[in-house]
Amino acid sequence: MTRLLEGKRCIVTGGTRGLGLAMCVAFARHGARVALTYHKDDASAEDAKRAVAAAGHEPLVFKGSVADGAHVKSTVAAVVSAFGGVDVLVNNAAITQVLPISLLEESDWDELMDVNVKGVYLYSRAVLRHMIRAKRGSILNIGNFASERIIESPIHYAASKSALRGLTEALAREVGRYAIRVNLLAPGLAEVGMAQGLPQHRQKEYLDKCPLGRLARPEEIAEMAAFLVSDSNAFMTGSKVVLDGGL
Amino acid sequence: MDSYDDILRRGFDEYREFVNPLIAQRAALAGEPIKLVRAEGGVLYDDEGHAVEDFHGTQAFGHRNPYIADAIRRYLDSDAPSWYPARVNPFAGRLAKRLCERAGHYDNAFFACTGSDAVEAALKLARALTKRPRLLGLEGAYHGCTFGSVSLMTKGYLRDPFAPFVEGAEHVPFGDVDALAKALAPGDVAAIVVEPIQGEGGVRELPAPFVEALCELTEKHGTLLVADEVQTALGRTGRGFLATASWPRRPDVVLLAKHLGGGITPISAMLTKRETFLRAYGDHFASGESHNTTMGFNALSCVAALAALDLLTDERIERVGRLGAKLKKGLSDTLARSPLFREARGAGFMQGVALNSPDHPWLSFAHFGFEDLGQKSTISPLVCHRLYRRGFFCFTCGHDWSLFRLQPRFDIPEEKLDAFVVAVAEELEYIEGLG
Repeated sequence: MTRLLEGKRCIVTGGTRGLGLAMCVAFARHGARVALTYHKDDASAEDAKRAVAAAGHEPLVFKGSVADGAHVKSTVAAVVSAFGGVDVLVNNAAITQVLPISLLEESDWDELMDVNVKGVYLYSRAVLRHMIRAKRGSILNIGNFASERIIESPIHYAASKSALRGLTEALAREVGRYAIRVNLLAPGLAEVGMAQGLPQHRQKEYLDKCPLGRLARPEEIAEMAAFLVSDSNAFMTGSKVVLDGGL
Repeated sequence: MDSYDDILRRGFDEYREFVNPLIAQRAALAGEPIKLVRAEGGVLYDDEGHAVEDFHGTQAFGHRNPYIADAIRRYLDSDAPSWYPARVNPFAGRLAKRLCERAGHYDNAFFACTGSDAVEAALKLARALTKRPRLLGLEGAYHGCTFGSVSLMTKGYLRDPFAPFVEGAEHVPFGDVDALAKALAPGDVAAIVVEPIQGEGGVRELPAPFVEALCELTEKHGTLLVADEVQTALGRTGRGFLATASWPRRPDVVLLAKHLGGGITPISAMLTKRETFLRAYGDHFASGESHNTTMGFNALSCVAALAALDLLTDERIERVGRLGAKLKKGLSDTLARSPLFREARGAGFMQGVALNSPDHPWLSFAHFGFEDLGQKSTISPLVCHRLYRRGFFCFTCGHDWSLFRLQPRFDIPEEKLDAFVVAVAEELEYIEGLG
């Protein structure tokens, strides 16, 4: 196997479960040194630490909310101090909540936007300080097909994922001059994450429309992420890559 | 042995993957507290430390009641056998004696594991006793999940998938004395099974004239009167140990379950008269064992039930009656100003709050993406959804989604019930504001 990320110093937010964990493991397998963050579940963080170590190097693990500016700043500083810099940021941390608009409260909206959008801004800003000085780097935002395709999804979640597209394009323009690439990966339903909260009949509707007729495996998305942030993908920026089995 | 920490961390996901993904999804979509990881003082706590007051009813003594847990622990620390190959189980003997003394009137007990098992035992007892073909249930009933109990229930998702049903099973409209008289008149009905207060049917109490007719007509026609007191017995209604104790005639059979095992072990019971049992099964040794279960008489469950009986004092049941009346009045008075409120009903700590459905389309199941539930009311699921956030785990009645039921633990602090009334009022006002 070609090791796409040999020696790369990566931060993956929300890296203890599901797709986040799959990316951490894949990045470690590709030779990267990984720092992962999580918010609440200490036990999952321990599991993730073991899994990533088994795939390559032992990761750095940080607990805190991506929406907490002080935590983000100190995490990035600690990663830079430990690794000597940061080459890759994957903004993966996100929350969702299945609620129709009638039941959606202002606090639900604020909490989700804080994590899914403000968290991306905070982490991107914190790493760019170092990437711009180094004149290299890659940021990958994890979107979702919910922002584009026709499927009923909670509006705040869909809005947050759509926001990442605009953020990705604008940021790519702003930092392209420093050879920093910013892209968006928008997976379809996967065996982990949102699909688990989707009612069976909705999942069936999705699969009926999906030419490949199945959910994505987390490893498949993680491999695509590894390629997107690698130097093998040096000319792509401001782009959105949809990985949804042809939906 | 797997570590409890690990089970309480991964077991929830393992349930979704290996047991029932639909239940796991429904609970998540409804916003039910799922990751409940410990119990203290009778209350549940989730993995983030939020307290949850469980109103289901199986936990009448509070979750992991220390007196019952200690009784179980003492039994496990003893060297008494847990299972008796001859089936002559001393723990079952003692429990039967204590139960019959406490209930009065009855002097024979059969033990099983679930309420459905008890219903099944009653149906078989009735057939064996009377040799008659027909079995009657009431419209709106819920009796469990075995074929016999399902056959007694009327149309709905709890019954429909399992046709064809037990031959001879029929239904009588709720509270309809004339229909009852007509159904019993041919003299070929083995048993009629009724709940004194229907739970899933909407916390509906049998009307007094119907109870009178039931007692009189079943005696007249030689039909076994079976009271499914799985929900109402053991002090739940605050009207004594059994809700049927004050009926004009004591039912021939009474069924108990739910908190009989103290909320920790599974056990159900069928109480009847020794004479009834012997007439049904007393012909010879083989018939004496023709209805039996392997683990229904296990000592551990009997020990838990004996401890539960210790806790079911007259004082505790009197408190249930007194606070239940206060709760009902509090709900009725406080919620009266809401156009969504219809009535509070039930008795003691078995109450239901009946509500009007919101008429705004965006509060419909169709808008929520569940077109197949289009005919059902969203109001109780909505109120329950809001109450979960406030630490109250209430339940929508299975047959009528315009009601939610509450069956608090018997020792719940009075001020907690007061806070609950305020919470329901505020949430109804909130939902009203959405429409």
